[in-house]
Amino acid sequence: MSNLHTVVCVKIVPKPEEVSVAPETLRLDRAGARSEINPPDMNAMELALSLKERHGGRVSIISMGPPFFTPLLRVALAMGADHVYLLSDRAFGGADTLATTYTLAKGIEKLGAVDLIICGEESSDGATGQVPPGLAEWLEWAQLTMVNSLDVDVEQRQARGRREIPGGHEILEVPLPAVVSVQTASNEPRFMDYKIKPWAFAEGRVTVWNQADLAAEAEYIGTPGSPTIVSGLDEAASRERKRIILEGSVSEQVEQLVAVMEQAG
Amino acid sequence: MVKSLYGIDEEINAIWVFLEQDGSALAGVSLELLARGGELAAQLGWRLVGFLPCRRAAGWVEEAFAHGADEVLLAEDPLLEHFTVEAYTQVAYEALWEHKPSIFLLGATPNGRDLAGRLAVRLRTGLNADCTALRVNPAGVLVSEVSGFGGGVLALIEMAHHRPQMATVRPGVFPPGEPDFNRQGTVVRLPVNLTVESVHTRIVERVVGQGVDLTQSPVLVVGGRGVGDNFKMLYELAELLGGEVGATRPPVDEGYIERARQIGQTGVICRPDLAIVCGVSGAFHFTVGIQEAGTVIAINTDPEAPIFAAADYGIVGDVHEVVPALIRELQVTD
Amino acid sequence: MKPNDEPILLDDALWDELITLTGGEAAACYQCGVCTAICPWGLVKEETFSVRTLIRRAQLGLPGGADVLWLCTTCGECEAYCPRGVDIPNVFRALRGVAWQRREAPEGLPSLLWSNYWNDNPWGQPPSQRMQWAQDLELPLFDPAEHEILYYVGSTAAYDKRAQQIARALVKVFRAAGIAFGVLGVHEPPDGAEILDVGHRRYFAEVAEQSAEVFRTHGVTRLVTTSPHSYDVFKQEYGRFYAALQPLHYTQYLAELLSAGRLHFAKPLARKITFHDPCYLARHNDETVAPRQVLAATLDTELLEMENSGAETLCCGGGGGRMWLETAAGERFSDLRLDEALETGAEVLATACPFCLACLEDSVKARGIEQLQVLDIAEIVALTVAS
Ligand SMILES: Cc1cc2nc3c(=O)[nH]c(=O)nc-3n(C[C@H](O)[C@H](O)[C@H](O)COP(=O)(O)OP(=O)(O)OC[C@H]3O[C@@H](n4cnc5c(N)ncnc54)[C@H](O)[C@@H]3O)c2cc1C
Ligand SMILES: Cc1cc2nc3c(=O)[nH]c(=O)nc-3n(C[C@H](O)[C@H](O)[C@H](O)COP(=O)(O)OP(=O)(O)OC[C@H]3O[C@@H](n4cnc5c(N)ncnc54)[C@H](O)[C@@H]3O)c2cc1C
Ligand code: SF4
Ligand code: SF4
Repeated sequence: MSNLHTVVCVKIVPKPEEVSVAPETLRLDRAGARSEINPPDMNAMELALSLKERHGGRVSIISMGPPFFTPLLRVALAMGADHVYLLSDRAFGGADTLATTYTLAKGIEKLGAVDLIICGEESSDGATGQVPPGLAEWLEWAQLTMVNSLDVDVEQRQARGRREIPGGHEILEVPLPAVVSVQTASNEPRFMDYKIKPWAFAEGRVTVWNQADLAAEAEYIGTPGSPTIVSGLDEAASRERKRIILEGSVSEQVEQLVAVMEQAG
Repeated sequence: MVKSLYGIDEEINAIWVFLEQDGSALAGVSLELLARGGELAAQLGWRLVGFLPCRRAAGWVEEAFAHGADEVLLAEDPLLEHFTVEAYTQVAYEALWEHKPSIFLLGATPNGRDLAGRLAVRLRTGLNADCTALRVNPAGVLVSEVSGFGGGVLALIEMAHHRPQMATVRPGVFPPGEPDFNRQGTVVRLPVNLTVESVHTRIVERVVGQGVDLTQSPVLVVGGRGVGDNFKMLYELAELLGGEVGATRPPVDEGYIERARQIGQTGVICRPDLAIVCGVSGAFHFTVGIQEAGTVIAINTDPEAPIFAAADYGIVGDVHEVVPALIRELQVTD
Repeated sequence: MKPNDEPILLDDALWDELITLTGGEAAACYQCGVCTAICPWGLVKEETFSVRTLIRRAQLGLPGGADVLWLCTTCGECEAYCPRGVDIPNVFRALRGVAWQRREAPEGLPSLLWSNYWNDNPWGQPPSQRMQWAQDLELPLFDPAEHEILYYVGSTAAYDKRAQQIARALVKVFRAAGIAFGVLGVHEPPDGAEILDVGHRRYFAEVAEQSAEVFRTHGVTRLVTTSPHSYDVFKQEYGRFYAALQPLHYTQYLAELLSAGRLHFAKPLARKITFHDPCYLARHNDETVAPRQVLAATLDTELLEMENSGAETLCCGGGGGRMWLETAAGERFSDLRLDEALETGAEVLATACPFCLACLEDSVKARGIEQLQVLDIAEIVALTVAS
């Protein structure tokens, strides 16, 4: 049995369609929103657990966020993860990607022997996709982003991943330890194992670390550690489909279509 | 408060743009950024600088001048032939640290995001990620519009004290502008100190055109029963748009297209930026397969077809007329 | 009991579980093979789908049967004929339960369970949009003091554009009859029927307990469902969590309103109609009368009957989780059903289930049949009620 230790970064997010911007204050209103595991992180979980099946070792979950994340993170234990580490402290609040990646990196350092970190492609709330490379930089590890499959050679300490590129794919290899991010929907996450679920939700290990536990420097965490500030917020025109019928002759319609398509990318 | 390696008092009044290339051409988004960066630079009276790491520049410097760059910083090295995050981060870091520009813009491509994410941490600065609009205030502060929560919320992001002000910008949000090949600029060659050992990423293989992964295709052209057996035209359209072809269940049943391309509840669930849905009625088992799509365009002869309620833009018309006309139009614009 | 020479035997725990799950059900089977002969898969598949062999595997505590295991639509036709009275669909569910533990469920089904977990519906739809189908209808939230019934819409009628028309039709009918009814809106809990059908009994029990709790806290007793699958699962499984629940399928409720003289029709329909009995009404719940009473009251002609009707109905192919699994062209039961419907000379093929509606309508389109329209009974009634 190998000692491959994989850490999955899991963020708990509000359901995107249930978040709004309060019209008077222009602040985010997520009070009534249901929370869930960031869906891409479920793909990261599945990848990590399939590596554990193939190579043995263990899977830890790390998450930065408030205490209410705990019950949702237990879902990961019920899927087969071994241990949850929640980095939680009021001082971590207001973090942008710089502070978030610093804090997560401190958590990884405290964990010690980690071979592989697997992240989702991006979160459904902030959606920057900057956490995986930022984390790799703090740790000075190799990175391999947006893979849709991955295998590791535990002996050779290599990770080999495949990712889609326009019109084809490429296979890349990096040395371990490495940070990997997984393309959204590139696998189907296993459902919880009901043999372990009772354990996961009752006893399953959740360790909470605060700023002092991590020996995280105050200037690098939370709001002080975040260069970016949000200077405005607004609700996008509408999340619903626009349902605009393009009128005119075929050539006029097609002209409008081309314009629309250019905008869509 | 965290401090960036250099700050406002040291910054140079310049806007840098990362010129991304794949060995044959500059990325479209790099040209778009030169165009928008040029407008912002003009507004501030600053210089627009292209930053170009590559093996050997092939006409790209001139192209950058034509698109508005006043200066191109050129880093040439065999180790820069293909993008690797270690090599690119290192040359970019050294260049930024040396020249200390106020603003650095990158395309939010997979490589641009990898590079920006690492650089921002190395420089201890902020990063406005995946921006959909950029402006500057008179003090030279970059204000970026980003979206979150599945596109439902727009936020304005800026940084007051940290430099460079980094931003990755979503491809396609700015027009690339008209090139003027009479424009001239200066080329500055950057020293490159890379060693093979510093590059960890090894490209094992690169394969073009093999196997389809509809879930990851940015553009999807979907044919339904209304297309009949004419999927050829859909392939043509998809090719022009750099996308893939999918189908509803009936054409799969008929054998007009392979089962792996069926979109829907019992097929593949996709999340393209753009889906063009042709001759499809919009049954529930199908629409769940495209509900995560960015923009949905529907073409159908029946104005009452439910697909129009699941689309952003609709054309009531015959696919056999509209699609060929669209193909012709796209060929002209190319 | 457990033979030792089989290398692929289940471990004891799973085997015990299998026996418990089936209540020793499979033990009664004496391998006559009637089930294999009866099963509609025999009509559409080239290679035999041996139900008997699967029952044998269950007796032996053998896992697997892989793909075949997931074909069963839990239509219950075999069970009706089994000389030993084996609850065959339940044996299938139990074998599936074991497959879940061995992580052998087919692609697509884990997503079904996850969707229910995060979204409270099996279709991957946002829970906050559960009431969008009724945005313009201003349906009141259920209040036990004011309302005779709770209308339980169900996930399919809430989200599937086509099935929404059933729900809208029912609302029209209820209003025409002056029924005081309410809905639970976005708080309507999932019924979990498909979770049970794909064999995840433990997760189902969790869902059912939570959903029953929602009904209890809202003071729900009489509850009328759109789908026979909801009705079935409420009736058969929810009693142990909430004994006061009194589920009815809407056809039963409409029949009740008819006999109470509360439902009136303005104009009888002059169309030739035949009725496809949903398995989960006709076979699992012996309900073949109520839908016919309702249809008869709307028609000025005789209801036409297909070759296999009532308790003998031929499954549409949509039960047992098959709405989440692909069925190859040429193997869809609903195609066969159309031949029977066409033989009656009917213009309308009526049914009373969102799954049946989807499958039958699909086959009508695929076969390009223009003379036959598929409608839900609710839609037919809505056409004829006086508003
Ligand atoms: C609308 C909006 C726009 C924003 N724009 C910016 C911006 O432009 N620049 C900026 O610096 N910040 C921005 N933020 C803040 C940013 O969301 C937070 O810094 C967040 O903590 C991390 O970024 P992300 O959510 O974008 O993660 P991403 O980088 O998109 O997430 C990728 C993966 O990293 C892992 N991960 C991310 N967060 C955590 C966590 N807390 N715990 C464990 N694993 C995690 C997960 O595996 C996830 O799948 C924005 C926030 C919002 C709501
Ligand atoms: C269990 C189950 C699973 C299923 N899974 C899937 C699935 O995964 N994916 C899937 O797609 N379906 C699935 N279906 C089938 C689904 O219910 C629909 O029948 C199917 O999506 C309809 O395909 P369509 O829109 O191409 O055909 P139709 O519904 O026949 O629609 C054709 C449309 O084309 C239009 N049209 C005709 N001619 C033209 C023309 N010349 N120009 C423009 N428009 C024209 C018509 O107006 C019509 O709206 C499933 C069904 C079941 C029962
Ligand atoms: S019909 Fe009943 S007794 Fe006969 S083989 Fe099937 S399950 Fe066994
Ligand atoms: S329940 Fe129906 S589908 Fe399942 S084995 Fe019996 S007859 Fe066949």
